[in-house]
Amino acid sequence: MSYIKKPKIIRDNESRNKLGMTVTDYEGVMSTLCAGCGHDSITGAIIQTVFDLNIEPHRLIKLSGIGCSSKTPAYFASQSHGFNSVHGRMPSVATGAHSANSELFCIGVSGDGDTLSIGMGQFTHAIRRNLNMLYVIENNGVYGLTKGQFSASADVGSTAKKGAANLQIPIDPCQVAISIGATFVARSFSGDKEQLVPLLKAGMMHRGFAMLDVISPCVTFNDHEGSTKSYLSTRETKREALYTDYVEPFTVIEVDYDQGSSIEVDLHEGGKVILRKAEKEFSPLNKSDSIRMIRESADAGEMLTGLLYIDENQPDFTEVENTVRKPLNEVPFDDLCPGSKSLAALQKNYK
Amino acid sequence: MSKPGHNNFTVKFANVNGTGSSSANGMFMRSIFRMGIPVVGKNYFPSNIQGLPTWYEIRVSDKGYLAPSGTVHIMIAMNAQTYAEDLASVEPGGYLVYDSSWPRKELMTRDDVTVLGVPLAKMCNEKFDTARSRTLMKNTAYVGVLAALLDMDVSVIEQLLLDTFGAKKHLIEANKTALDMGYDYALENFKCPLSFRAKSSNKTDGHIIIDGNATAALGCIFAGATVGSWYPITPSTSLMDAFSGYCQSLRKDKETGKNNYSIIQAEDELAAIGMALGAGWNGARSFTPTSGPGISLMGEFLGFGYYSEIPTVVFDVQRTGPSTGMPTRTQQCDIMACAYASHGDTKHVCLYPANPEEAFYLSTEAFNLAEQLQTPVFVLSDLDIGMNDWMIKDLEWEDGYVPNRGKVLGKEELDNMENFYRYLDVDGDGIPYRTIPGRHPKGAYFTRGSGHNKLGGYTEDAAEYQDVVDRLLIKWETAKSLVPQPEVSYSKKNKMGIISIGSCNDAIREARDVMKKNGQSLNYLRVKAFPFSDKIEKFISQHEKVFVIEQNRDGQLHNMLITETDADSRKLESLRFYNGIPIFSKDIVKQIEDSINSGKAA
Amino acid sequence: MRFSVLDWFKDEKGKLTSKKINDVVIPCDTVILAIGQENSFPWVERDIGLEFDQWEVPVVDSVTYESTIQGVFFGGDAAFGPQNIIEAVEHGHQAAISIHKYCEKESLTDRLEYGMNLITAKMGIHEWSYSNDYGYENRFEVPTVPMNERFKDINIEVELGFEPGQFQEEVERCLNCDIQTDFAANLCIECDACIDICPVNCLMITDNDDEDNLRKKIKTPADNLEQDLFVSEDLPQTGRVMLKDEDVCIHCGLCAERCPTAAWDMKKFTLKVPYALDEANAIDVNATKKAV
Ligand SMILES: Cc1ncc(C[n+]2csc(CCOP(=O)(O)OP(=O)(O)O)c2C)c(N)n1
Ligand code: SF4
Ligand code: SF4
Ligand code: SF4
Ligand SMILES: [Mg+2]
Repeated sequence: MSYIKKPKIIRDNESRNKLGMTVTDYEGVMSTLCAGCGHDSITGAIIQTVFDLNIEPHRLIKLSGIGCSSKTPAYFASQSHGFNSVHGRMPSVATGAHSANSELFCIGVSGDGDTLSIGMGQFTHAIRRNLNMLYVIENNGVYGLTKGQFSASADVGSTAKKGAANLQIPIDPCQVAISIGATFVARSFSGDKEQLVPLLKAGMMHRGFAMLDVISPCVTFNDHEGSTKSYLSTRETKREALYTDYVEPFTVIEVDYDQGSSIEVDLHEGGKVILRKAEKEFSPLNKSDSIRMIRESADAGEMLTGLLYIDENQPDFTEVENTVRKPLNEVPFDDLCPGSKSLAALQKNYK
Repeated sequence: MSKPGHNNFTVKFANVNGTGSSSANGMFMRSIFRMGIPVVGKNYFPSNIQGLPTWYEIRVSDKGYLAPSGTVHIMIAMNAQTYAEDLASVEPGGYLVYDSSWPRKELMTRDDVTVLGVPLAKMCNEKFDTARSRTLMKNTAYVGVLAALLDMDVSVIEQLLLDTFGAKKHLIEANKTALDMGYDYALENFKCPLSFRAKSSNKTDGHIIIDGNATAALGCIFAGATVGSWYPITPSTSLMDAFSGYCQSLRKDKETGKNNYSIIQAEDELAAIGMALGAGWNGARSFTPTSGPGISLMGEFLGFGYYSEIPTVVFDVQRTGPSTGMPTRTQQCDIMACAYASHGDTKHVCLYPANPEEAFYLSTEAFNLAEQLQTPVFVLSDLDIGMNDWMIKDLEWEDGYVPNRGKVLGKEELDNMENFYRYLDVDGDGIPYRTIPGRHPKGAYFTRGSGHNKLGGYTEDAAEYQDVVDRLLIKWETAKSLVPQPEVSYSKKNKMGIISIGSCNDAIREARDVMKKNGQSLNYLRVKAFPFSDKIEKFISQHEKVFVIEQNRDGQLHNMLITETDADSRKLESLRFYNGIPIFSKDIVKQIEDSINSGKAA
Repeated sequence: MRFSVLDWFKDEKGKLTSKKINDVVIPCDTVILAIGQENSFPWVERDIGLEFDQWEVPVVDSVTYESTIQGVFFGGDAAFGPQNIIEAVEHGHQAAISIHKYCEKESLTDRLEYGMNLITAKMGIHEWSYSNDYGYENRFEVPTVPMNERFKDINIEVELGFEPGQFQEEVERCLNCDIQTDFAANLCIECDACIDICPVNCLMITDNDDEDNLRKKIKTPADNLEQDLFVSEDLPQTGRVMLKDEDVCIHCGLCAERCPTAAWDMKKFTLKVPYALDEANAIDVNATKKAV
């Protein structure tokens, strides 16, 4: 946290997006998180993402639960509508907001505590509904805001700052999400924007529930030796399953992709992802493959990152529910209220 | 009303649940209604799907009293398990009909009750092939028996069958056969009609028979609600069922055939209210129906909605508490829980319909109030209103009705605005302006349940925090002037009055009539909303004694009258009915008269 | 009044010469000539051993300020032609050192070196020993005495100075060039906080590369080639490097404030200029640096 506001300085050679906006225009108020908190880095990546995707700020809603991580929607896109809800229950608010207007872009930011403990129910049900949103878990293995208790994502043996080791098995949001039918599952690291930003973009442009588990070290309570979610430990164990590029719609692809070993997936909301092979043979289009790879990596003491699973062909919530695509909140009242004649007619059934 | 008379009697059906008795019982009730005789049905059913005792009580009342009478003139005793208690509950001089197909092991009789045995099962087993139809038709057959005993207009029942089953010819046939079977058996074997009968009249013209969950759902439809979220819970489930049913026919997009609504069955009530708030925040009219346990779960979010000022409508169809209580019995036990739902200084606008008719109008009103006041608004009905069939006046709707969406800034206003601040009290009424996400670049703001200042920014500053919560009190005052005013029946002559709420209304109406006849007139005020109107305080001050009648153990309304008004609490006497059964007027009369006689009342 | 617009360049011998490009005429009622006097030494005899250069200015050693006559020192405009007063003061200092050494019979060229000192400006978690807020205002014009008043008295000071409020704002515009960002690569955990916060996007962590590529990797590319690019030592966790484009840094200190490990620090820079007295006391200014 800082007393002074970050000055807004637009340089002559600053890049501008198609809306003529600069990255700075997508920033929010000054972060009040601890210096060096991974969450701030993710905020930076989200800012870059919405800038690059040329999203009109007022067409974006950003929601969160409670926690240090959940404070971050205030720190990006100040011209967007923010909703800092209650602990663990952002998915329900997103569901309602989405029902009222499914045309808006929706980013949900949560923590590992917010999602995997108090919010586990709502998290899984948002997946089940394939709600069209980008859901980012800023995963630091602890409850930051309540001062460093272990969260449900803490690995067995990972130690707390004062030395006690966690003995309970962790819940891996990626495995949970894939197994219950999430249509876009990825893992990344706050300290690797080159990987994170394309994943965020792809997640935004995916139609349906895009879940991104982002390891985001808590510098204050979980960045010591012995922690498995510190900057150092994450860097040591992180392994990329595939390299992900997001390609905007109507762009000529300049990079030479090896046709044989790269996979292209067109995204419903625009653009495509191109997945380039890393070391091992792996297809994120197959659930069993994904889960097997994640587990094998975990057994080998590694943490698999990248786009771990994608299925672009599932109907989203709006489609399944057969709801109109246009915003419900803009349907004229006359189309909603059946009027006196209808009322009289239907009351015949009650005579 | 212990002595039955023409068009003035109560029939109670003792059944086993899951045997399809409710449609037969409904058929009986609707036939009486179609004969032009006022009627009301009360369902006492178990929290179970099959095999437990269930009762349906149909009160035929020339005067149109809609509360249960508390007396039984004819008992249709179809449940061997409860036979003894059913027999015991019949008024002296009354009748009991039972299935005499096989001798009952312990056939108890009473000298003062006429027991009529009809071999229902035996007759049905001979006539119908499948087990299911035999069980079902037994029910229709006892309606036939009743038709004969009460000299009902059979053509009305036959027409009803046609209307109900429409194209399903085989069902019409079967029901008609069963009906005739019962009718004929009664004519042949009993002295028909009885001393009291159902005589065709015209008192139900311009009325319908409907339950309050259906009318509340209709209110949602007509108010233009588009997002409904819920988690199933008795007795509110049928509200969403009804909404969904109406949406099927009334809410399809003309071009695409897609839904102009979104019904979300949530994972729990914590989510249901979150969804309702999310949708309300995003500019849809939203609602969530629930009952007591749901309200408890929604607590945190309800306070969030109050503090961050998001419109939505919560229907609490109250059932008996505490805890799971008796899920299928009625009570008014959430009055305080709703009024002050959530931690912190929180209070909510609540509306208290008295019957299905009001449930419709207050439901539409709730959506207006929610958006005008930018806050969750509760509609507290109860199981009695919500799930029982009431006779109410035809619902009416004025075309050209414009919903009051409250202070929502439009494009032009925002265009002309330098900066938009969410929580500024521009007009002095405590209600700030809001914007709908996605509509205008200048409309963005941040919604949070944590401390915020009037500009919408996060704050931990003492003065800034207090500024906002104090402004919410100004809004509370404004709410007072916007919510429905109490219904008052006042005469200067009367020194005593009654204050009550919601579904107590009909029992009180009847009790006042009775007491008036007995020479004791009482004035009456029915609270229709919280925050309380000043009229309530005035009403109390105008009387020497005011009985506060409500359906809960702790006198919640009574307590709130003491804490929320400056009325002299010594004038208030709390009368509480909380056994889960709707109040009987005779119990009210007794308690009031006892109080007066004991000298407690002035 | 006619002005000539000149183009200055060095000829093949390295001599600064001018070429007239065109004339500009500015119509005036009155012309008052108010530029400095000429550098001219007609009063110095040309046979006393003092050498003059092609501009007719004495030849002076740029380190010792001694002329071609031992023990005769020059400074100010007289030394190297017209320069500003700040440099004249410096000449004075340097000449004083030389004079001291001359008198002490020491070698004039064996002088104390310039030193510098960096002391952290951090005082507390959000507190710095300098004002790090950024002033958006353009430069204020200093208020002046109206034209017609000025000539009433020769002693009238034309510039009135700032009002107290203006003065504060004007001072806030200072980019605090004396405050340097100082990077300790070994402390960096590569959390990106500094990069995300920098208001002028002048930082980046990336794989080391040749300079052209590195310059492009900064969020807003470092395209002023005259300004050196800062490239750190390899960072401990990934071996990448920290880049900084000093050209645009406003010394706001946010990078240091958001840095969890104090890998970035804001340090106050002091230039240690040796004076005659230091020579007299034989103080080694670099020794003080170590002592801090
Ligand atoms: C109902 C409720 N219970 C408890 C809390 C206290 N609380 C605030 S944040 C938090 C944990 C947050 O952990 P996480 O989601 O991992 O976020 P982080 O701070 O680590 O980013 C808890 C338990 C709360 N706000 N609400
Ligand atoms: S406590 Fe941890 S999670 Fe919270 S702001 Fe500080 S570093 Fe981030
Ligand atoms: S001092 Fe300010 S401008 Fe300079 S590098 Fe640090 S953050 Fe950027
Ligand atoms: S903030 Fe500090 S630790 Fe983090 S990347 Fe910058 S210099 Fe390194
Ligand atoms: Mg956490």
